[in-house]
Formats: sequence, C-alpha cells, structure tokens
Amino acid sequence: MRHRSRVMMLAALLSAMLMAAGCSQRQSSQALFAELGGEPGISAVVENLMYRVADDSHIVGFFANTNIDLFVASLEQQLCDISDGPCDYQGPPMDRAHQHMGLDDSHFNRLVEHLDAAMIEEGLPLRTRNRLFARLAPLHAEIMRLQ
Amino acid sequence: MRVIRSLRHILWRFVCAALLAALSLNVSAGSRLLATGGVTQIEGAAGGGLSPWAVLAGTASSGEVGLTAMGTRAWLNDYRLSVGGVGLNLHDHLELSLARQRLDLTTLGGELEQTIVGGKLRLFGDLLYHPWGIWSLGVQHKWLEDGALPRAVGATDTRGTDLYLSGSKLWFSAIAGRNLVTNLTLRHSAANQGGLLGYGGDAKDSASLLVEGSLGVFITPNWIIGAEYRQKPDNLSFAEEDDWQSLYSAYFFSKQVSLTAAWLELGSIAGLADQRGGYVSLQFAY
Ligand code: HEM
Repeated sequence: MRHRSRVMMLAALLSAMLMAAGCSQRQSSQALFAELGGEPGISAVVENLMYRVADDSHIVGFFANTNIDLFVASLEQQLCDISDGPCDYQGPPMDRAHQHMGLDDSHFNRLVEHLDAAMIEEGLPLRTRNRLFARLAPLHAEIMRLQ
Repeated sequence: MRVIRSLRHILWRFVCAALLAALSLNVSAGSRLLATGGVTQIEGAAGGGLSPWAVLAGTASSGEVGLTAMGTRAWLNDYRLSVGGVGLNLHDHLELSLARQRLDLTTLGGELEQTIVGGKLRLFGDLLYHPWGIWSLGVQHKWLEDGALPRAVGATDTRGTDLYLSGSKLWFSAIAGRNLVTNLTLRHSAANQGGLLGYGGDAKDSASLLVEGSLGVFITPNWIIGAEYRQKPDNLSFAEEDDWQSLYSAYFFSKQVSLTAAWLELGSIAGLADQRGGYVSLQFAY
C-alpha cells in the first residue's frame, strides 16, 4: 500500500472535523434569542408554524385535543429559554409532554420542516436557523423516549 | 420493428413524465429533510461519490419507502467510467441497491464491466438528531462480466464481497453558521480498483481493512461542497494501486433531483499514472 501522503490527508480531514466541532461550541457572538428577534420574533415564528401544522393532515391530528393557546404560550416560552432569552420554561419535560402519542421520525421531520419554512418566511437567516436547530436536535431523544 | 419503436416511444414518454413529476411535485417524497440521503456513490450505495455514507437512500423515514435512480460518468486521462444504479429504502432501516459499472479503457482498448448488489442496514442513530450520528453496516457483492483481463494481470477472483461499517453525522452551525457533515467508513475488501481489476492478487490475496472518510459543508440547504478520501489495497504486483480522493459539489434542486460534480484524483490505475478528471452524477428520488 502506498498511501503515506493519503494518510496525512485523512489526518487533516479528521482534525478539521474536530476543530469544526470545537469551534461550534466556542462560537458565542450574539445571543441566539436576539438573532431570533426576541419575543416578538419568536411569537411570529410560532404563529407561522401553527398555520403550517394546521394545514398538514399528517400531524394536525395530534393536536386535536390540545388547548392551542396554552400550547403556543408554552412553546414560545421554551424557545425563549433554549435560545438564552429571559425566560424559564415552566412546562413538563419533553418526554412527558409527548408520551404515548405514537410519534415517529416522520412526524418529527415534518415538524422540523415546517419550523424551518416558518423561520424562512419570517426572514431569519440560515445561520440563525441552524443555531436554533443545534439546540433543538438533542430534544429528539427525549421526545421519542416514551413513545 | 413497429412494436419495438412504439415500445421505445412509450418508455421515453414514461421517462419524460417521471422527470416532470420529479421536478414539479413534492407528493411522493419522504419526510426526511432535504439532502439527508446524500447522493449515490459509484457502487450504488447512498453516500458521496467514492465512499458510502451511513445514511440510507432518498428521504424515506419511518413507515415510508423510497426509490432512487442514478446515472454517473467520470472522465479520467486514460479511462471512462459509466455507472447506472437504483436504490430502495425500506422505512429508513434497510437499503437495497443494484449498480452496473462500465470502465472503458480509452487508451489501452477494451472495457470492463461489473455488477454490484448492495445492502445497508441502519444499526442506530440519526444523521441530525443523535449525538453520535447514524451508524450502518453495509455489504456489496460484486462480480465482473469478463474476468480475462483481471486474471491476466494477477487477480485471484472475479467476484468478491466488501463489508463496511459507516458512521455519519451532521453538525449544525459548525462553520460560519453552516452545517457540516462528516463521514467515516471502515471497509473490509480484497477488491482491486473497486473490483474492476478483480479481487485479491499475486502480491496479496487476503482482504484488507481500509479507511474512507469525507467532509462536506452545506453552503445553503440545497448545496454541499466537500472532499472525500478512500484508502485502497495494493494486491497486484504488475501495477501500483493508489488511494482515491475527490473534491465535490452537489446541488439538490429538490428532494427528487440532485446533480453532483466532482474532481477525482485516483492516482495510478493499471500502470497508467495520474488518473484524474471530472465526474458528473444525476440522481432522482421518489
Ligand atoms: C423539537 C421538536 C419539538 C418541540 C421543541 C416541542 C415542544 C413542545 C412543547 C413546549 C409542548 C408544550 C408542553 C406543555 O406545556 O404542556 C409540546 C406539546 C405538544 N407537542 Fe411538541 N414539541 C416537539 C415535537 C413535536 C412533534 C413532532 C409533535 C407531533 C407531530 C408534537 C406534538 C405535540 C402535541 C400534540 C403537544 C400537546 C400535548 C397536549 O395536548 O398537552 N410535538 N411540545
């Protein structure tokens, strides 16, 4: 095998991966909450999201018995909290909030797609959307835990 | 003759209709997010260009079935590779694939053809949501159409089976607010030049454990650029075999259509040094 230089290239690739992962953790420019437009920004995104959910026959059924006003308030509070805004999420933990709904990845993916579309329509740039998804991704495991 | 011509006509109309449907409709796409199935690598598995990724073809998720079709061509200094392939994704747990490769030896004369059936089982995880990403176990069984040339240059077999373990993870907002995809694949293989020069050889007749890796940055949600590396064995004494590298750019017009362009650096192939050149791959997904 003649690949000493290729092994070097692989090492470079691997260290680039690690550096990139490290940078993403150190990056702390503007608070995400401000990038999202503060509370008005978040509530505009959540309202936009609700219209999309209402139009999606694959997932709207899950909300049939939900008090939408309470849900919206709770989700806004959670997004404010998770983006380092001046809020403390008071609702139930994510596993209990979604237990036994019968959610699978296809439902989760649809919601993420709607959230992204809502953020795009509300004018949020790619970096802000990606930063929020970075915070939301770990919730997947919690939400799926008690299905 | 008339029958054949009208059959061909129907087939052509079918292909055009499928193309139009793919470009305009969204109905049959899976629910996984855009580009999370990667493209199709040269052996038919979902991945980059040269190396498989752990993700499964297309965008099918739980309870969904997805289908992909791809056509690929690479123009090297002394060779031209053409690949056609299809992939099936069952519930985002199992991928089955079939690919057909033809290598035209434009300088030496002649051609080599091989067929590859592949399977990929998702072991655990998720590209986007799991802290360790997604991990899959894959198998590629390959056989050459005509093994005379590979045997003449020292290959032991004209069919072989590669096994691989692959891990892929997307890091949100990793570089300047852009998402980064990283892949690592460990392959157990005795294939010479991916199998086109047979399996095993006079210099080494056993399988090697090989490392493949790639990186990609999503410049936009539709557009990823990156680099790949694929380690190769060196089983034949008549010519040195080099590792493969590529720089790629893939654009996803929609969940249904993507176009990949790449620059390949494949090193020496069958005694002809510095094989490099362009690569284009078109994929449809349903
Ligand atoms: C990252 C993804 C998600 C986040 C951050 C999230 C967040 C929340 C929050 C904060 C609540 C309110 C809890 C409370 O105060 O009672 C909630 C409830 C709920 N979520 Fe989610 N959720 C996610 C995914 C999903 C998905 C994929 C579905 C289904 C398609 C879903 C369906 C529901 C429903 C139906 C409720 C209301 C339950 C009730 O009626 O009490 N969620 N979610």
